[in-house]
Amino acid sequence: MRTKNVVFGILLILSVVLSACGGGTTANGTQPTVSQSDEKVTITVWDYYGEATPIKPLIEGFQKENPNITINYETPDWDTTLEKLNVVLTSGTPPDVVTVDMTWIPKFAALDAFADLNKLSGGKLNGVDWKDAYTEGALESITYQDKIVAALYDFDVYALYYRADLLEQKDLAVPTTWAELKDVSKKLVEGDKYKYQWLAETFHGSQWIYENGGDLLSPDNKTVTFNSPEAVEAIQFYADLMTDQSAIYWGLDQGERIQGIKDGRIAMFSDGPYNMGIMKSAAPEMAGQWRIALHPYSKEPGSYLGGTGLVIPAQSKKQEAAWKFIEYGMRVDNQIGVYTYAGAAPALTAAMQSPEVNGPDAYFGGQKVFDVFLEAMKTAKHFPYVRQWNDIDVIFTTAMEEISLGQATVKEALDEAAAKTTEALNN
Amino acid sequence: MRAGTIHRQTLIRTFKKSAMAYTFIAIPLLSSIIFLIIPMLVSFYWSLTDYNGLQPAKFIGFQNYNQLFTNDKYFLISLRNTTLLVLMGMSVGPTLGMITAILLNQKIRFQSLFRTAYYLPVMTSLVVVSTIWVMLYNQNGLFNTLLNGLGINSVGWLSNPKIALVSVAIASIWQGFGFETVVFLAALQSISRELYEAAMMDGANGIQQFFHITLPSLRPVIAFIYIYGIIGSYQIFDQVFVMTHGGPIFSTSTIVFFLYSKFQDLRLGYASAIAYVLFAILVVFSYIALKMEKD
Repeated sequence: MRTKNVVFGILLILSVVLSACGGGTTANGTQPTVSQSDEKVTITVWDYYGEATPIKPLIEGFQKENPNITINYETPDWDTTLEKLNVVLTSGTPPDVVTVDMTWIPKFAALDAFADLNKLSGGKLNGVDWKDAYTEGALESITYQDKIVAALYDFDVYALYYRADLLEQKDLAVPTTWAELKDVSKKLVEGDKYKYQWLAETFHGSQWIYENGGDLLSPDNKTVTFNSPEAVEAIQFYADLMTDQSAIYWGLDQGERIQGIKDGRIAMFSDGPYNMGIMKSAAPEMAGQWRIALHPYSKEPGSYLGGTGLVIPAQSKKQEAAWKFIEYGMRVDNQIGVYTYAGAAPALTAAMQSPEVNGPDAYFGGQKVFDVFLEAMKTAKHFPYVRQWNDIDVIFTTAMEEISLGQATVKEALDEAAAKTTEALNN
Repeated sequence: MRAGTIHRQTLIRTFKKSAMAYTFIAIPLLSSIIFLIIPMLVSFYWSLTDYNGLQPAKFIGFQNYNQLFTNDKYFLISLRNTTLLVLMGMSVGPTLGMITAILLNQKIRFQSLFRTAYYLPVMTSLVVVSTIWVMLYNQNGLFNTLLNGLGINSVGWLSNPKIALVSVAIASIWQGFGFETVVFLAALQSISRELYEAAMMDGANGIQQFFHITLPSLRPVIAFIYIYGIIGSYQIFDQVFVMTHGGPIFSTSTIVFFLYSKFQDLRLGYASAIAYVLFAILVVFSYIALKMEKD
């Protein structure tokens, strides 16, 4: 009996693959039926924000303005959205509006899975040219081969979170360059406490490379550049922080970062605006101790640029109504809700600069924290939009892990990863 | 003519007699064809293509299989890791299960409580079990706190690539050995007391009784435990997904986890090829299991 169960198990995996393949229609080939404005339609919206969502509060106002459009609101969580999206896209039954993590964009964009919002919007977002609504980097992050594949809804760029109270106690200035960071982190450490958090993945590895004038791939995405001399120098500098005992390697068994923040193991780390909400809710007792600054750099500020995008699957048959909903959510007053409801950073420049969003933040000692993230956003860039991005991410992360665990030198690890990436790009 | 009519009537009668049986088997048969056989065949076809679910599939022959075995280091690592997990699990789990079963088979106090306690992890969700083990393995978790208390440095249970696979194996063994215990316990209780009494009359001691009565009597059960354990262990996924996500440095990536990552990347043709490799491995063990059952 168990044999049958086991065989059934493996067949189930196969059948999942099969059922996912059942649609058979091509994303390109589907001609969406655009709904007429007076026609009654129901659109399905997937929202992964969870309880503190800025999307749900939009529905009532939207339906008042558009009585002919009904919203079928669904809330798959962040983890399952990607899995479910894979399944519904491949079976040809997608929802009409989906919240997606911008790191998922490369794969889907390369497969033409999302509708071109530039075409649907007639080139304007709420009457403003797309290029004026967003910063240059943000606009680039939603553009794939001259198409706008997503409306960036909240953005994520990395900046330095640091313990201002400790710096003050030791009379240390906020580091702005790598050399200063090295010096400050060394002076902050007390035994196993107050270290810079070292993470072995692409988000952080790429930041150091960008900050030294390097990049992951060449601008045409055909050549690997993360083993260039600047990149090797950058990762070496990052790795040396750990060798100096100034940084703590945050492996799988260190637990959640917030724990390290609370128990004092971490005094500095690099992350995006969403982390502010986590700190406020999980470590309210630390109010006033932390501040945020542009992450120190060697040649130029740098960060990956991600966040949440609103997309319309290319197979959706109600694209016009779906676009109306997205455009409604992208109004400046509604964008402010991204901050007030979710504590995240609204992607529209006008919303970011509004006093509701960028006011003094008591948790961060009255600092206007979004000024920092807006500054970081100016030079941030999205990960390369190539079909092989997931492979590259895995290869690069593996190299970073090898470096962090001392299994290879920086040059060896990055050269090997570059060779594998070149092979993946050529496949 | 007459003979033909009689023959037809016999056939109709036979069919009428068995009509109910055919109706009953029709449902599982149809569901097997629709949900198993057809998906299997189509999936095999996908394994010969570069299908991504969104664009038309291109037939590429055995290129996916070729890529898996000649050019995909991560797949080979995942295959090796899975085999190592099977070996670790099978070398400890059944032995532990048997020892526990023998102990539980004695007349001891709170026998039912112990039996329930050992079986509890088997019934608990693998995700819950894995999350608990992540906490135990944590840098400041129970194990490291105990080690530090003994003056030993903390161990990177899940962050050291040399140890992480063993850590996953320990958690899996702990979760699974209750099943083996219960099976062995049932088998132990079916061994006739008379055999032991006779052996005692002949002056056999406990160890002799174990090797000459208990072990030989358990032989079919031992074979069952190993074969089905191997088949089950090859499909390990949940623990890896929750505890390590295949890391660090691919040291805990398994075949099913690797398959899952390819599915997430919408490489459905490639994922199907991986599924078929796993299927081939399981077919071999299932065949051995069937042969042994017959013997």
